[in-house]
Amino acid sequence: MRFLLLFLLAAAAVTLNAADKAPSAAADLGSVKVIMLKTLTAQMKYDENEIIVRPGEKVKIVFENGDDLPHNLVFCQPGTDTMTMAMKQMEKPEEALKRNWLPDDKRILLHSKMLNPHEKEELIFTAPEKPGDYPYVCTFPGHALTMNGKLKVIPMGQGLKDLKFALFLGNWKMLPDFSKLKPHREGVVPNNLIDIKLDDYKNEFGVVFTGKIHAPRKGSYRFYIAGDDGVRLLIDGKKVVEYDGIHPAGTIKEETVQLNEGDHELRYEYFQAGGQIAVFAAWKGANFDITPLSSWRPAGWEKGAKAKKKAEYAPIPIVVAGEPVIYRNFIQGAGNRAIGVGYPGGINIAWSAESMNLALLWKGAFMDASLHWNSRGGGYQSPMGFDVLKPTGEVTPAFFIAEKPDAVWPVWDKTKRYEGFVWKGYTLDAKRSPTFRYTWQGVEIEESFSATGNGNKPGGNPTLIRSIKITGSLPANAWYRLGAGPFEKKEGRFVAKDRLPYSIIAEGAQMAGQNLVIPAKAGTLTITYQWAQ
Amino acid sequence: MKRFSLFFVLCSPLLAADPVESDFYKITTFETPKETALEVGSIDLLPDGRLIMGTRRGEIWTVSGAGSSDPSAVSYKLFASGLHEVLGIAYNPKDKNIYATTRYEVTRLQDVDGDGQADVFDNVSDAWGVSGDYHEYAIGSRFDKAGDLWVTLCLTGSFSSVTPFRGWALRIKPDGTMVPTCSGIRSPGGLGFDAEGEVYYADNQGPWHGSCTLQHLVPGSFQGHPGGNEWYALAPNMGPRPIDPSPENYQGDNKRREARVGGDPGRMVKERQRIKQLLPPAVYLVHGKIGNSASAIICDTSAGKFGPFMNQLFIADQSHSNLSRVFLETVNGIKQGVVFPFRLGFASGLIGGRMDGEGRIFTGGSDRGWGARGGKPYCFEKCEWTGKTPFEVHEMRAKADGFELTFTQPIDPKTAGDLKSYSMREFTYAYREAYGGDEIDEILPSITAAELGADGQSVRLKISPLTQGHIHELHFEGVRNTAGHPLLHTVGYYTLNEIPAK
Repeated sequence: MRFLLLFLLAAAAVTLNAADKAPSAAADLGSVKVIMLKTLTAQMKYDENEIIVRPGEKVKIVFENGDDLPHNLVFCQPGTDTMTMAMKQMEKPEEALKRNWLPDDKRILLHSKMLNPHEKEELIFTAPEKPGDYPYVCTFPGHALTMNGKLKVIPMGQGLKDLKFALFLGNWKMLPDFSKLKPHREGVVPNNLIDIKLDDYKNEFGVVFTGKIHAPRKGSYRFYIAGDDGVRLLIDGKKVVEYDGIHPAGTIKEETVQLNEGDHELRYEYFQAGGQIAVFAAWKGANFDITPLSSWRPAGWEKGAKAKKKAEYAPIPIVVAGEPVIYRNFIQGAGNRAIGVGYPGGINIAWSAESMNLALLWKGAFMDASLHWNSRGGGYQSPMGFDVLKPTGEVTPAFFIAEKPDAVWPVWDKTKRYEGFVWKGYTLDAKRSPTFRYTWQGVEIEESFSATGNGNKPGGNPTLIRSIKITGSLPANAWYRLGAGPFEKKEGRFVAKDRLPYSIIAEGAQMAGQNLVIPAKAGTLTITYQWAQ
Repeated sequence: MKRFSLFFVLCSPLLAADPVESDFYKITTFETPKETALEVGSIDLLPDGRLIMGTRRGEIWTVSGAGSSDPSAVSYKLFASGLHEVLGIAYNPKDKNIYATTRYEVTRLQDVDGDGQADVFDNVSDAWGVSGDYHEYAIGSRFDKAGDLWVTLCLTGSFSSVTPFRGWALRIKPDGTMVPTCSGIRSPGGLGFDAEGEVYYADNQGPWHGSCTLQHLVPGSFQGHPGGNEWYALAPNMGPRPIDPSPENYQGDNKRREARVGGDPGRMVKERQRIKQLLPPAVYLVHGKIGNSASAIICDTSAGKFGPFMNQLFIADQSHSNLSRVFLETVNGIKQGVVFPFRLGFASGLIGGRMDGEGRIFTGGSDRGWGARGGKPYCFEKCEWTGKTPFEVHEMRAKADGFELTFTQPIDPKTAGDLKSYSMREFTYAYREAYGGDEIDEILPSITAAELGADGQSVRLKISPLTQGHIHELHFEGVRNTAGHPLLHTVGYYTLNEIPAK
């Protein structure tokens, strides 16, 4: 037992030292920061959409293409519209093909080759001195919308100044009011890092650290703390963040505070009941990265309170082969009673059995079930493919009674149901394509879809045709909303403006304010959805 | 106590190895379809002998040949897919359709074109809320004797109910009408019937539940967790909302960090006197000893084909990957009874289960979310009686002054009549909001008599005192059968909600 304990303590010390000395150890090897970046299988994504480096830092990016399609990695000047840059190649596709889909653009700072599936390339470079967000993107046609990220060049912030400590003795279960207690001992902390270095006290004491911190400009700043046991951080006498009580040090708490430019008084209160001793503090500003204010840092501290939250699973793609596939689960943007349908040819929808409406449609891969088929199965899963369209509001019904069609349509409340709708179910036809059935205002309605073209290929002209059969007479002033937001009428089609371009075609449709509507009455409504070419 | 039993086992005079569970009940693990992870969530029988099985991944499979003595004779056919977790499956003998209970609806599935795959999916009832929280599972039953389906709905998380009827048991009538039936549910793991068709569910340790429990779903009853009681406003058939459990029980969680006022947290017995709708658990499935995550409830209706435990209940557990055995009786109008360990060693966490007419228990499940001792990520298995009768306590009944034990085999009069062959400990759990709880209020009663029955297979134990509301943990390590064998399992936990008058 004693041996084991000693062993654990020794291991902890090594870890701490390693954390402390990491920069200098790396310096011996030329101080290269190594970053692994991978493309995800069948998801049109990089596995990280943010890479953080320091100004002037030497960086090695090991870029691996884990997908079954070719991808590259292209870094650009801050402010580059990478989507437009990638799209522009399509004006002269033969030339672009000769350049292997690398745009001829001065804003490109650095790029990989176009990697074939499962190839790897190392990019070694010195990070720019100028802080900023340097976008990166895959410039293969059609990939840029989802395959992008930011290389963030961001310096560390300043540390504390004039750090002092006051030691108090006492047996507490919660942080006491130290201002009413008399310190047992006081002193300065020469290296200005919050730390507990007491040989004579192991249990039942408290320490208050006070020092100055300089906010480089007016704005919001985020403070992070962790401790074993209770900790509290105050700025200019006001509590910012607290994690009181007796607990281990693993959990990081964080809060934001507004500060004016200049020096501020930082006060960090800590008490130790018994057992392990640990204190952690850090801060972050708009123009500098998270910066530790203590010697010790818990694992994953760079990510703040999110450090432990990230759960990742290997993707479980739901494969769509010869016939439509259904996936009922929590789909991001389609609510709690979502029914995903993947049609052959890379065209997919999510229909909602609470709004009785098409919630989403998208191209490419259908759904990744790994979020729901691992662990307890919670959370909303986003579509696996790309170019996700949400023609109307989130999980809102299309049918609505309003005097004027520019009315405000109902808004989703996920704890409530929409009145007037009864969900009946769906029937699969011979090709296993579903027809959804429901009633609205007692009138029977059936919806079916057919998909043409190909959403997996550039230029595949994917098209979704939706047919809504209304059997019975609807009340006066009944409207059917096909789209929400700005649309422009061009050659008989309504083209979405100021967002991912797509068009809706429906006979008799009209714009009314932000609503693209059609009077709802008995008969069959046909709506065609097309992604922009 | 433990030391004592270990000592006894080591000193056992038998030369041959003592009997083990697998001598009496055999587990067969089936190969499952390669194209999926068959995370069994629910099982029912089809009239032609096939099984119908719903999974956590939202598939429904028909299974042929699982009853065969050759496990390789099993074959699977996908009946439906893409549903949102099938934790209830039921064949309806009236309309010959399959009914699946999923996250947000009871779905009737029909195979109209007869190709073996469902093509019509009708919503039978979706009359409950779902907010998107992972915890909001829906567990469905088979059809009860009135032709209704039962659905139990997990709370939103452990404490609250943010959307209608989370924390309730509902009945779905054949025409789709939903009848709110019981409140007070926390986190159900399974629904099942006893031999008379009474309905039970298994709840899991957490707030207001010191342990997993087996609970009797009496229409109109409040099952103990007040988190979902605001929905009485939507359930006029249920009468007025029950008063809340004592406020001093609110402590320790849900951000109510203030010190407890009023002293000790309440006990179920005390609260039953105040809250007239409150029904105590029929049996505490003692946490950590019987299981940690109770799920399927399977009644032995095979009239002896599963061995000597006719009409008793078998409770599955996800965490312990085991089956336990429950004998129930009715005392002063309330169900109560005893749980015994029965069979360990299933390959993964058990979730769904069903016995067929030949006395074969089909069961399976998965370990995901909470982990399971079985070790495999998922499994589909069969548990059968080998034909050998284990020496077990068959039934344990409460009496005014103790308990009556009956055994599966004739007992050795000398050891069975010896007071030193038995020991008892009584304890309970606080009825409180904080998560889980310790075994508290321990009493070590005296065993004052062990009288042999005239049938040579029973014993009357006199215990002083008996304590209402306590779990009476009885050890019977010393008892031997006439062949000199010890009992296969030497402990039972009896939940004494009521002490009978005689």
